[in-house]
Amino acid sequence: MTAIQVNHLSKSYGRFQAVNDISFEVEAGTVFALLGRNGAGKTTTIELLTGFQKPDTGSVRVLGLDPISDRAQVRGNVGIMLQEAGFFPDLTTGQTVEIWRDFTPAARPASEALELAGLTAKAKTKVRQLSGGEKRRLDLALALLGRPDVLFLDEPTTGMDPEARRDVWEVVRNLAARGTTVLLTTHYLEEAQQLATNLAIMDRGEIVVGGDMAETLAARVGRVSFELPSVIHPGELPLPATVRGRLAMVQAADPDLAAQTLLGWASERGLRLRGLEVRMASLEDLFLELAKNDEISQNDAPAQRDRGTRSDRPARSGDARA
Amino acid sequence: MSLTATYKLSARLFWRDKGMLPASVITPLGLAIGMPALMRNVQADGVTAAAQMFVGALALILSGTAFLNITVALTMRRDQLLLKRLRTTRLTDRQILLGEVANTVTQTVALMIVSAVAVHLLADVPLPRNPVLFAVFAVAGSAVLATLGVAWTAAIPRGELAAAMTMPFFFLAGLASGAMGPIMNLLPSWLHPFLAALPTSAVVDAVRASYGPGTLGSDLVAAAVPTLVLAVWAGVALLSIRRWFRWESRKS
Repeated sequence: MTAIQVNHLSKSYGRFQAVNDISFEVEAGTVFALLGRNGAGKTTTIELLTGFQKPDTGSVRVLGLDPISDRAQVRGNVGIMLQEAGFFPDLTTGQTVEIWRDFTPAARPASEALELAGLTAKAKTKVRQLSGGEKRRLDLALALLGRPDVLFLDEPTTGMDPEARRDVWEVVRNLAARGTTVLLTTHYLEEAQQLATNLAIMDRGEIVVGGDMAETLAARVGRVSFELPSVIHPGELPLPATVRGRLAMVQAADPDLAAQTLLGWASERGLRLRGLEVRMASLEDLFLELAKNDEISQNDAPAQRDRGTRSDRPARSGDARA
Repeated sequence: MSLTATYKLSARLFWRDKGMLPASVITPLGLAIGMPALMRNVQADGVTAAAQMFVGALALILSGTAFLNITVALTMRRDQLLLKRLRTTRLTDRQILLGEVANTVTQTVALMIVSAVAVHLLADVPLPRNPVLFAVFAVAGSAVLATLGVAWTAAIPRGELAAAMTMPFFFLAGLASGAMGPIMNLLPSWLHPFLAALPTSAVVDAVRASYGPGTLGSDLVAAAVPTLVLAVWAGVALLSIRRWFRWESRKS
């Protein structure tokens, strides 16, 4: 079942095209990551999905409903953690949650929401005294109060320490395991890779890469690196490698297979491949690749701009279908 | 349930906002009680002068506690993205604003009643002859002023400017109602109809009738024009909110 459906969605502010003809779907009970650099259009997309902004063209359906015209119904079934939203600074964490319970039908008990967000010890602390990461956790507690079917998390772990971040990941995983659909934006590529089963990478309002996380990464090359034995010349290796100093690096679509080949070859010769490291393609590699493409196409762009064409962009994949 | 919840939240924040209490409670209440009490002791016809001044001073409570307070509070909440956060919940826009207005009306009416009792005890100003007329216009006037305050937030670019851009109305209302003495007589006569058309002046006129001699019939006649004035202002406020009210500041 599709929980979120986005069709040819566009939104501009004056002459700035914040979101440009994007389409994707999120299946119920999955975690979908929306990635991109600052200004890529992630937050505008979330605001369109949650009904805070009205699209110029295209449509959005959340649980089959329009988030603007069916706002009350949609809000009753979603939890929203905005990237930026204020708190009443003179209320305590516990009071804030209690007040929000008044706005939320069938809300979780305050103690449960605080515990989920790891804020039990801070229940009596005034919001103005919370750290940035703790405020994000309070944000999460409020978003979870209504036991939402769909959860929108806009940069949920910004400002959190690594331990708190991992706690939030655990909460998100547990929610998804119980059937909650989660759409999150994040700058932390590891976070997306840890949590999401599907992704869309945005750049300048468009989706440049999208689809299943594992498939998307599998389509990228991984690498195997090791210390080149002193008795070996790079040309003798069974696979093409680049060598910097004594560090040899082999790029391969299937780095596990490449590592097996190299280890077998070394074993036959009684050699040890010290410092062997097998690295699958990561989102970071993908990001760097996109940034590199972008740089190249920007350098090529001026002459083409003169001809009125728009080619200052990396190659795009089609619509993302999660 | 949700309207009660926003009302409760707004009431809680009203009394916790120590920065706003001097402007929204202490000053209007101090003037509405202090000035009549002073008049009672310095004027020959002390009680009459005190009563005149007290009824005029109700305009200060209306413009300070209802109009100024809700304008500043909503503008600050808009800038701090608190209104946006409230909109992430199941609350409708109407419930959020109605909760604020209902709380403002409660606080304003409470202060009007407290000041009426206080000047009765301290300055011998009699209680209203027609308390129903007093109460109806206290509630209606507070509601219209609070709604106008909600509408006025659209004209204010930043929270820090809210008090400065609202305070002139406080003085204008006091001037028009006679709360600051008989300054009206010094102003050009062409200005009088405009000042009389202020919503605070309409409430003061009706409340004055509730204190003066009269019958139910004369009270109804006296209430007719103020009712019309308040209805027009209410319409202006509601249309302005529908057309221009902003839930987020322009920068965000």
